[in-house]
Amino acid sequence: MAELAYASHVQIGEKRFRERYGLDFEDFQVGQIFKHRPGLTITQQDNLEESFDTLNQAMIHFDAHYASKTEWKKPLVVSTLTLQRLIGMTWKTFFKKMRILGWSALNMTAPVFGGDTLYAETEIMAKEDVEGDAACGKLTVETRGMNQDGKLVCVMGYDLLVYKRDAVPFEGVNY
Amino acid sequence: MSQFHSHRKLEDHVFMEIAGIEFEDFEVGQVFEHRPGRTFTAEENRQHTFRSADLFARTADAEYNHKVYGGENVISETLVLSAVTAMTTKTFNKVVANLGWTDVKLPTPVKAGDTIYAESELLDKRESRSRPAQAVLHVRTRAVNQDGLEVCSFERKLLIYKRGLGPYEDAGY
Repeated sequence: MAELAYASHVQIGEKRFRERYGLDFEDFQVGQIFKHRPGLTITQQDNLEESFDTLNQAMIHFDAHYASKTEWKKPLVVSTLTLQRLIGMTWKTFFKKMRILGWSALNMTAPVFGGDTLYAETEIMAKEDVEGDAACGKLTVETRGMNQDGKLVCVMGYDLLVYKRDAVPFEGVNY
Repeated sequence: MSQFHSHRKLEDHVFMEIAGIEFEDFEVGQVFEHRPGRTFTAEENRQHTFRSADLFARTADAEYNHKVYGGENVISETLVLSAVTAMTTKTFNKVVANLGWTDVKLPTPVKAGDTIYAESELLDKRESRSRPAQAVLHVRTRAVNQDGLEVCSFERKLLIYKRGLGPYEDAGY
């Protein structure tokens, strides 16, 4: 049997459990790798809506005829749509995230097209306490996105604040 | 008036809309103010978060957000970065693809109701070594909110077509 790790639920009564995902800051260690599931298939409709929602005027994303005349042949998925999806997919591990502080680097390593399925994984690169912040610690992580063929499409390094065990704001609010 | 244009003349009285500055016309140090600005709402933040398969409690559960954070709706960092990048796509419309971002900073959180304005400075331009028809731009983009506070800044490299070497004519552009 596989070895299991980290609680998905907290027991709040004899036979009552409440879903509570996410690792506390203390649980993270440098070198850990988390493979996020489920994956997510991106469609050209998603791409179109993202372009219009953000006022993106680059027609490579929404004019298929124009795209057919480029080396890509099909509309390219908006890079930052890929980024949003990859970070969204990490929620089970990082449910106790306070916020993202910023990205040190974000590289698109291969094109993403409508119909591609993305899988994300995250490696913990560094962790440290933050001066003046008793509630949260800072994680430096690298999230990588792969398509259905295992090809790396995006690599991003970023910092986020994650709540420490005694400060996770779940008590008293039914979480 | 400037040396940049929004239309090209096809024949007498017939004009086609164009967008984007040509690689050859960019000069290091130029700054471009992007318009329109963009206002964020709590509802679009919810939709973007859910469509990213993200169950972030502060966004999903208004009651939780009210009890823990006083109800202030903060826009997701990934949506802010996406929107700021998208705001640059008229000036940088000759794009082939984005290569990458560095030094993405988010000094002030964006809240529902905030409006942001972005501008981009050209840091560097060079021809691509591996792609003779294309070139690389290095730009710094920063966005401020309605009070002038910086909400996002980053550097970015993107590939763009060189003059006359894009697929535009072929595609009816």
